[in-house]
Amino acid sequence: MAEPSIVLGMADLYVARAPVKLITLGLGSCIGLVVFDPLAKIAGMAHIMLPDSRGLKGSEKVGKFADTAVPAIIDEMLKQGANRSRIKAKIAGGAQMFALPGSSPEFLTVGAKNVRETTVRLARLGIALVASDTGGNKGRTIEFSTSNWMLKIKTLGKGINEI
Amino acid sequence: MADIASFNALQLDAIREVGNIGTGNAATALSGLLSRMINMNVPQTELVSIYELGQHYGDPMQVVGAVFVRSLGGFHCSLIFIQNEEDANLMVELLLKQQFGSQIPIEELPQDMIDSALSEVGNIVLSSFLNAINLLIGTQHQISVPGVAHDMLSSILDVVASIYGQMGETALLVNTELSVEGLEEGRKISGHIILIPDPDALDLLLRKLKVM
Repeated sequence: MAEPSIVLGMADLYVARAPVKLITLGLGSCIGLVVFDPLAKIAGMAHIMLPDSRGLKGSEKVGKFADTAVPAIIDEMLKQGANRSRIKAKIAGGAQMFALPGSSPEFLTVGAKNVRETTVRLARLGIALVASDTGGNKGRTIEFSTSNWMLKIKTLGKGINEI
Repeated sequence: MADIASFNALQLDAIREVGNIGTGNAATALSGLLSRMINMNVPQTELVSIYELGQHYGDPMQVVGAVFVRSLGGFHCSLIFIQNEEDANLMVELLLKQQFGSQIPIEELPQDMIDSALSEVGNIVLSSFLNAINLLIGTQHQISVPGVAHDMLSSILDVVASIYGQMGETALLVNTELSVEGLEEGRKISGHIILIPDPDALDLLLRKLKVM
């Protein structure tokens, strides 16, 4: 059976039953978070932009921030029949696209903060982070397939990495 | 702080005029650097959903060369000079030929040298753009060292999303295009300047322009 492909945009969050291929194009400082339960055959992806929703009004997309996206995607996994103790996570992204010599403004280093906050939020919910490809200064395009539960990461000039 | 989404036409027009003045100065500087005519289009002030930034400038997967600088003076903003990778390479070739009589094709140049030439072009374009704005509104002019990246368009634009995403869901951008004329074989080199005022700098800009 052919895998339907879902391409996520910025701040999108999507959970689906296998077979499915979840794709995010050109992640820079953003994070692609993948969660999956191979036994229940359910997978989800979120395209997280920023670490922390603090101080912002509640009308925003939950997928936008690490602190809201992680609980929301786990909730949705459980709702669709995943078992909490079996859910595993993989993350990619969080690059710093530009480096300025001397001190960089805060928004240029947001990638590292996204990685940290996503990792902390997963740990707080007891979700095992089994693989990650984060940081550096290159953008990433990611594809997660439920055919092998692997996350394929394409980086310009570096080829393909599977985690 | 001003709510970006509620700016009126007069205010957006005033911001666009700032872009116009910046672009004129940038075009003059680039023309001097390359000894070529430079064409500029009329700048636009745009309100763009941060969720659609990746598609806003074309195919999100296209490879671009981008130069980023940060204003360190009185008007808080970031500026990006962004070109298709192909245009960026032609620009570097042209600069090296013009300044040093280099005939070396781009494929044979070390990446360091390409980046250094590209950041020089970006620096001159963006610095003159910003300088004109600072002169207009009477703020001190100081600019960071440029940063260079070659990557997918949508990865580069994450920078813009992370500036405006902290305040809301709309980004205010001033966009303009410069193109180099008089190249052989009808070639054209173009580049986009994107001015990204810090959200808190917009109040200052509108006050100085007397439209708030």
